[in-house]
Parts: sequence; structure tokens; C-alpha cells
Amino acid sequence: MAEFLQNIVKKSPWIYRINAGSCNGCDVEMATTALIPRYDVERLGCRYCGSPKHADIVLISGPVTAVVREKVLRVYDEIPNPKVVVAVGICPISGGVFRESYSIATQLDAYIPVDVNVPGCPPRPQAIIDGIAMAIEIWRKKF
Amino acid sequence: MNSAEFLVNVLIFPGGLFAIMLGLFLTGLDRKIYARLQRRVGPPICQPCIDMVKLSQKETVIPKTANYTVFRLAPLLGFAGMLAAIAVIPIAGIYSGLYQSGDLLVILYLLSTPALALVIGASASGSAYSSIGLSREISIMLAYEIPMLMVFFTVAMRVGMELGGTAIFSLSSIVDFQLSKGPLLLDLPMLPAFLAFLMCIPGTLGVVPFDIPEAETEITEGPLLEYSGMGLAMFKLTSGLKTLVLSALTIALFFPTELGSFWLVNILWFIFKCVVVMLFTNTLIRATRARMRIDQAYKFYLLVPTSLALMSLVLTVLSFRI
Repeated sequence: MAEFLQNIVKKSPWIYRINAGSCNGCDVEMATTALIPRYDVERLGCRYCGSPKHADIVLISGPVTAVVREKVLRVYDEIPNPKVVVAVGICPISGGVFRESYSIATQLDAYIPVDVNVPGCPPRPQAIIDGIAMAIEIWRKKF
Repeated sequence: MNSAEFLVNVLIFPGGLFAIMLGLFLTGLDRKIYARLQRRVGPPICQPCIDMVKLSQKETVIPKTANYTVFRLAPLLGFAGMLAAIAVIPIAGIYSGLYQSGDLLVILYLLSTPALALVIGASASGSAYSSIGLSREISIMLAYEIPMLMVFFTVAMRVGMELGGTAIFSLSSIVDFQLSKGPLLLDLPMLPAFLAFLMCIPGTLGVVPFDIPEAETEITEGPLLEYSGMGLAMFKLTSGLKTLVLSALTIALFFPTELGSFWLVNILWFIFKCVVVMLFTNTLIRATRARMRIDQAYKFYLLVPTSLALMSLVLTVLSFRI
């Protein structure tokens, strides 16, 4: 029964984006990945949602800056379980070009459990879709 | 009508089970056609059902600022209203409706329940974005209900005057009248009213040119913002049912035709007509228009559909008085 349920549920992951102080490069790539007809992630059942309360998969981009850290944690807490986090770009992993800046404390997974890392500056749309596909597999097992 | 028949009509056919399945099918078909119009593959047609299953398995988050009871019960209000509405509307050749007199007025009240449920739920959630959404929802509701009421009145007048009396607010009489005298759509003075009603549908459904209350990009889904899990699933289900109710109502008011007397053929014919109405009032408009501002939408509803409906009313009355 659980297996059957997981197979149904995995076809409906809803995506939410958090910009944690990103330079907007990764956000542009994410918008092109999921929104334009060319890559069409809606065929996987994905859809962008405007509210964190509706989300299943969270895409976080940007080095977590000191100012935005509290807000990211708060939005993350508002997402109902089960949820999966995908860190998009090199910034959440190591800080990228902003590394050792005075306004950045440390990497993202010091605060939030990250399930999938998609490195790149910015990553290719195909890499982001691959990251989402891996996230769906992890997410499905949480039901 | 005995109570067993009443229960079947509300819970299995045409309300309840049948309506939910058809409503979800219409939503899925809408998303598929929308994707095909953008040259995408699109989600499978059963995608809304999958979404329902997923949402029912998710955690329900309730904000600290929310009024718990009202917040949890509001989605049920709109859902129940729509289930009742679909049981009231007659389907030509299959089903003659729950009541025999005055059901057009009942429909008018029931049609506003989903919007009211959104408003109540949003005001109970205590979020700032939700309150912006609810104020927009109320303004657009005021705008589209005026032409809609006038269309109902025009149809009632048309049928009533032809039968030699005053306005008849009974959907089953309206359907019976059209089955014997031909659909009202073919009647020239009724054409503006038909167009006005079609224009009211996207506003009622809250789809793209008029999705101002739920604008994802500016107020992050407005009234739905704080809902998650079952509550959200309920609202999504309600909007699917609303598509069905409005299509069925358009069919009952303007072209309730039947093909032969076999019930299965009539049901398929009804579903086909629902799909056509949904295509022209929802999918095609959604795929080709951009979102309006609230003042533009308000002005549009008070100008275009209202004057069309008024024109139809005047023409109808004149054609019988002279």
C-alpha cells in the first residue's frame, strides 16, 4: 500500500523558490527551467507555487547572507512535511564568489538539511531538472 | 421525490461522486490543452486527482494568528455549496433537477458560496496578503454578479413571456421550454445575454485575465496563501466543481439539447458540451490574455457584460410588447 501511494504521490511535486541573497543568475536559470515551454517540467507534475505552504520541493539559491538567514529559516519552517531541499548554484555550497565576505556566515547546510546540491555558476537548466528528479526520488521515500 | 432518491441525487449522480470526477477531469483537460497551446507536453489528464492524493497526505500547517475553527471549516462551506448547486441544475434528457420552482435564484446564491468561503477563510487566516486578496475578491464579485443576475432575469423573462405570464425562475421549466421550442441560443435577442454570461464565467472562476484575487506573482495566491494539505485540496476541488457548475448552467440556460433518448449518449453529449464551454470561457482566454488590474476588471464588468445583458433584456421585452 505504501509503495502504491508513493508511486502516485511522486507525480505531483510542487516547487517553491527561495532567493537567499543570490545574484539572480541562478533564479533566471530556474525560471527558464520550469516556466518556459522548452523544458516543460509540468509534464513531471511539477508546478511553481507562490506560497511556501503549498510547496514540496524547495529550491534555494544564493549564499545565505547574515540579513536574510532568519527569514530563510522562517520560510523553511512554514513548509509542510514531507519536504525536500535542493541547493541551486555554488553559493549555497561554499559561498561561491562571495566566499569569505563579511556579510556571509557559513554554508547553507549548517542551518537547513540539504538533500540535493546542484553546483554551477549558474548551473545549466538540464542540471537543475536532474536535481529536481533526484529530489523527487528522495521526497517520495518520505511518505 | 422520496429521501433515497434525494440522497442519490446529492451524493452520487449528478452531485457528489459524478460531479467530483467530472470536475477533476475538466480541470485536467484544461491544463493539458493549455500546455498543448504552448507547445508543451503538459501533465497527464489525471494530474488533478494525483494532486488531491498528494495534498491529502501532506501536513496541515495552521498559522498561530488564525482562528482555528473558522480556518478549518471555511473550505467545507464552498465545497458543500458547489455540490448542492450541481444537484439543482437539470441536465437535458437525464435529470430534471432537485426543485421544480425558483431554483434559478437558489443557484444565484449557491454560486457565491465558493467566493464567500475564500473570503471567510482568508480573513480567519490573519495574513496580510490574504486580506489584500479578500478585498479584491469582494470587489470583483460585486462586479460580475450584476451582469450575471441580469442574464438570469433576461432568460426568465424570455421564457415567462413566451408562456404568457411573468418571469419564470424555474430552471426545469426553462429547460423543458427549450426542449420543445428549440434552444434560446438560436434566438437573436438572446445572443448578447449569452455573450455576457460567457464573459462572467472567467471572473467567477478566477482565471487569468481576472485572477486578480489570487495573483501568484504579486500577492502570492492571496486567500489561499495560508492553506496547506486537506484545506488546499478542498479549495482546488471546489474550483474544479465550479467550472462544472458554470458549464452546466450555461448549457441549461442556453442550449439544453438531447440526442435521442438513451441515457449514456445524453451523458456523453452533456460532457462534450461542458468541455466546449470550458474551452472557450477558460482555457483559450487563459492562454491568450494577461492579468488585468482590479480597476480595469471592475470597469470591464460594469461596462461590457452589463450593457450586453441590458440590451438583450430590452430587446426581449420589446419583441413581446410590440
